[in-house]
Amino acid sequence: MLKGMTRLISSVHKLDPGRFLHIGTQAPQCLAAHLDNQVATESPRAISRTSENDPAKHGEQHEGQHYNISFQDLKTVFSHGLPPRFVMQVKTFNEACLMVRRPALELLHYLKNTNFAHPAVRYVFYGEKGTGKTLSLCHSIHFCAKQDWLILHIPDAHLWVKNCRDLLQSTYNKQRFDQPLEASTWLKNFKTANEHFLSQIKVQEKYVWNKRESTEKGSPLGEVVEQGIMRVRNATDAVGIVLKELKRQSSSGIFRLLVAVDGVNALWGRTTLKREDKSPIAPEELAFIYNLRKMVKNDWQGGAIVLTVSQTGSLFKPRKAYLPQELLGKEGFDALDPFIPILVSNYNPKEFESCIHYYLENNWLQHEKAHTEEGKKELLFLSNRNPGQLERLCAYL
Amino acid sequence: MAASAVTAVRGWSGLLLGVRSVVLRLPGLTQVRWSRYGPEYQDPQIDKGYYRKPLAALTEEEKYERELRKTQVIKAAPATRTSSVFEDPVISKFTNMMMKGGNKILARSLMTQTLEAVKRKQFEKYHAASPEEQATIERNPYTIFHQALKNCEPVIGLVSILKGGHFYQVPVPLADRRRRFLAMKWMITECREKKHRRMLMPEKLSQELLEAFHNRGPVIKRKHDTHKMAEANRALAHYRWW
Repeated sequence: MLKGMTRLISSVHKLDPGRFLHIGTQAPQCLAAHLDNQVATESPRAISRTSENDPAKHGEQHEGQHYNISFQDLKTVFSHGLPPRFVMQVKTFNEACLMVRRPALELLHYLKNTNFAHPAVRYVFYGEKGTGKTLSLCHSIHFCAKQDWLILHIPDAHLWVKNCRDLLQSTYNKQRFDQPLEASTWLKNFKTANEHFLSQIKVQEKYVWNKRESTEKGSPLGEVVEQGIMRVRNATDAVGIVLKELKRQSSSGIFRLLVAVDGVNALWGRTTLKREDKSPIAPEELAFIYNLRKMVKNDWQGGAIVLTVSQTGSLFKPRKAYLPQELLGKEGFDALDPFIPILVSNYNPKEFESCIHYYLENNWLQHEKAHTEEGKKELLFLSNRNPGQLERLCAYL
Repeated sequence: MAASAVTAVRGWSGLLLGVRSVVLRLPGLTQVRWSRYGPEYQDPQIDKGYYRKPLAALTEEEKYERELRKTQVIKAAPATRTSSVFEDPVISKFTNMMMKGGNKILARSLMTQTLEAVKRKQFEKYHAASPEEQATIERNPYTIFHQALKNCEPVIGLVSILKGGHFYQVPVPLADRRRRFLAMKWMITECREKKHRRMLMPEKLSQELLEAFHNRGPVIKRKHDTHKMAEANRALAHYRWW
């Protein structure tokens, strides 16, 4: 049987490298997968959950199963990353369970095999509305947090280009604009996520905030973050400094940096913000966007860049657009080119069954007809196996 | 020329099969609600199970009934009636009563958000309760909805009757459908009027439904007030002639 397995692996390796491969299967893991499958068929009631809560050990055998995220991780890593409906679900069920899916597994495989001497590779999740791009991003963030990377997570870039009440003229550069409130909340969340790194990383330049305050060279990054949180006027500049320092020092090898941006098409789109004379503001005139664009360029080593393009929340983009070319526009695509696109699609039948099973386990489907085969068929038809739609349907059933 | 055209059209309308033109004209009685279907029209059969039954499993009576239906005229099924397993006539009626200006999409989304809110509140209570209490907590939003409306139905109602130049509130027995209508009407009016300007309808409705489910709250109070008025005016019961 082992010879059969090795023959299978060698035939897999012969496939052309242009396709997305899961080459990470070695003989013992294959064996484990085979045994796991046997166990799964024997006890079909246990298919929706897995006890493997470490994302590093997730493989193809866990596809479709839900794993638990501890409350500690929720408070530190995911203080600002999760979609709002998922947060409601976590509050209702008293547990945070994420489904292991193929796009996330693919990305985890790439992240495990990154060469930190090479420039950072950009991965872009794309797909139709409600297919699970943000949650796949959160899965990879959880993996990196467990592997002790430094997480730079912008939960939704669209929030920075619209609905900003107070825009200040930037203190650093007169042509650009500051967004103090958003920057200070982001800094607070960044601090909770990466507490232990802030004391280790030292600033390599002296920064003068105003006549009385300045940060000396060699002081920990935590001081810059504190300054940004306390002096809200300088928050955007503090964010810019943090980004610059992290980019400069990531290739030194002390830490590995993960840049995760949700809705990266906001950086190159249009904004709905206006100056006092009602003339529109371009995204590059916002200091935060300007610095973030520098961050997602692949001219630094020692980490990875994981992005999502989404139409929900985007400005002036048609509802049906989901491809990276349509959402990023020419400017954005040229800036991000080359990147690795990863398609996130609707549930396959196994994942759909697993999701329904998870809801039934938590007694979320209370309607008596929802437990029947007829009910399941109707849910499949109504949701078209779209994860977001299924969640909304099951919420009131 | 125009008058003759009008009389010609009136003549044609009487010829259309099954369409009711003039049924009965009693002095002082105007028909307020009627349907354009005549009495020979049968209601549509929406149930999927009826059509999926194999021919061999039908009894003689059912075969006869199916043959009979082939000869009868059937009304068109309204767009709101579906063959979905999750369809509920009470929920549909309540949604229609909440609808304003024909905006069914909004009314339906408010209804689904209400059911979701009820469910989430009950789940919260469930997780906070001890194991003995957990058995008593009802988490199905549909049972809560039905039970709440049943609790709000009045047993006896009041009707304004004109006698001797004055209107008197006379206690009168109510039909089932009138009771259900009053329960839903009181619930919706209460939720529309007695809420804070910034509070949304699903939140207020879910609150009221949960209170009615436990037999307390403003709608139950209104039902009890109606009962008390009927009890107080029972001497006027003779004014009723039907």
